Amino acid sequence: MAADMEEVAQTEQTQPSVATQGEGETEETSVDADMLIKHPLQNQWTLWFFKPDRAKGWEENLREVICFDTIEDFWSTHNHIKSASELSAGCDYSLFKAGIKPMWEDPRNKNGGRWLINLDKKQRSSELDNYWLEVILCLIGEAFEESSEDICGAVVNIRPKGDKLSIWTADCTNRDGIMKIGQKLKESLGITTRGSIVYEAHNDSMKKSGSVAKFRYTV
Amino acid sequence: MSASPIARQAAQPQGQAIPRRILINDASQLPHDYSSTPNGTLYSTTPGGTKIIYDRNFLLQMRNSPVARTPPKNLPVIPGVTCDSPHKEKEKSKLINGQKNVTAQHKPVELPTVEVEKVEDKKQEEPQFEMDI
Repeated sequence: MAADMEEVAQTEQTQPSVATQGEGETEETSVDADMLIKHPLQNQWTLWFFKPDRAKGWEENLREVICFDTIEDFWSTHNHIKSASELSAGCDYSLFKAGIKPMWEDPRNKNGGRWLINLDKKQRSSELDNYWLEVILCLIGEAFEESSEDICGAVVNIRPKGDKLSIWTADCTNRDGIMKIGQKLKESLGITTRGSIVYEAHNDSMKKSGSVAKFRYTV
Repeated sequence: MSASPIARQAAQPQGQAIPRRILINDASQLPHDYSSTPNGTLYSTTPGGTKIIYDRNFLLQMRNSPVARTPPKNLPVIPGVTCDSPHKEKEKSKLINGQKNVTAQHKPVELPTVEVEKVEDKKQEEPQFEMDI
């Protein structure tokens, strides 16, 4: 609620400043030009929502929220849905390239793995939403450059013990691509601690005996 | 801020001349800015062809684009995602009643569902009144 009102206030403030800035300046037209068109993204993305319901199977609990392929359609959705930190415990948001389901079994995921960031409970209020947004911006803006091809999607898990954030890639043996993605991810989130982000192969996660799968890479 | 390549493209609807064919015999004959990005980081050349890349700041600038201020038409209603879950709505309306500054804008949303139903029932029961046109 408070955040909503803040946003409204912000928009009201920015509008007049753009107008005054434009007087006698050629810059105005360029600002307007960008505000009037939709900007296509390299990929089409699907946002998924998972809500645990024991009466239903895992896949039944997974629901497609929306597909988008422009910057504006992304914001239009993001500005009007609950933030990750507002979801109930056990829920997930996933953002995947269109055609890839946010599950290990998908053909594009089955040989892949994920960069995993474990957050502690305190970070839900301080960092989670910002981290999730930074991850989304990296994905839709293709910030991983040539390694963007390896990206399948990203997931945020809301869990009572501590939330998780992960970026899923297609091939767990593509060391170079994975390392580049991991470094960029860490840089984008402003994480400096060494070894705080680990890469797990989905295959290892499936076979794990305890709560932690062995990790193959770390940055 | 200067317009992005995509906005500039959209702003130039007039046709452009078909470029002349130029025979290049040696790499030295290529223009010095061959395959570079004219205005910023939005496009870059990649082995697989041109890729649409947007940096973080540009994406953030588009957050308040007029198009992004309303929800997408095809956004489904999902309790807990696109609206409050029934459980949370109750908690919220309690909170709102306890607060002093309740804006009129928010009131209809916070009405407990039970009351809304009652109002609708009444409408059906009462005889319709004539409207002045």
